[in-house]
Amino acid sequence: MERNENQFSGGRRYKNDDITVYWKPSACVHASYCYRELLEVFDPSRRPWVDMNGSTTEKIIEVVNLCPTEALAWKWNDEEKNESVGSDQLNHIKFRRPELMNSIDPDSNEQPVSVKIMSDGPIVLKGNFTLLYNGNKKEVRDSMISICRCGVSDHMPFCDGQHRKAGFIG
Amino acid sequence: MEDNKENKSQSVIEVIDFGPLKITGNFLIKDLQRNKEDSSSEVKLCRCGKSENKPYCDESHKK
Repeated sequence: MERNENQFSGGRRYKNDDITVYWKPSACVHASYCYRELLEVFDPSRRPWVDMNGSTTEKIIEVVNLCPTEALAWKWNDEEKNESVGSDQLNHIKFRRPELMNSIDPDSNEQPVSVKIMSDGPIVLKGNFTLLYNGNKKEVRDSMISICRCGVSDHMPFCDGQHRKAGFIG
Repeated sequence: MEDNKENKSQSVIEVIDFGPLKITGNFLIKDLQRNKEDSSSEVKLCRCGKSENKPYCDESHKK
């Protein structure tokens, strides 16, 4: 029953000595911060597209934290260090993908829908719910979406990452 | 564990045209900006960026 250790439910993980970066392709909205800021590590034209030796741990964390969705998240390999990570580390798995952190079951129907108000960013909804928008009705199952909170997205009602450029605060 | 997979959604999330995001049902809001939680049964969240009471709607979008 050996699974590829680079895979997890919904994506892949990449490690260096210090941290693990989680990639969930279905969550990506192509806001492009990762490869614009750090092509040495995040190069969509390369396979594998993430090279954890391409830069320093500090720089990789900085750029993963720019991702406006949960497509990229990270954690320290030293689990004790994860406990004290603050919410300024936006995309630490504790805040972005808590199910990767410990035993919370992402498939449980009993879980309330997780509604996260990201700092100066979108509303991130996660779980099982009915979504009504633009005359559409969509049953969302064990999944995640980001709703624009700044008012300037070109992809309404969804976040497209423009809140940063717009300087949205709130 | 798979006993009742046809459970209906417990939450309805409605994007109101030119208005807020209305959330009803079983949900938990974690406001990472203000470090607050809210588990009430219905909320309207600002989508226009102008509310003075973020993350909630205060009808500023109508002004």
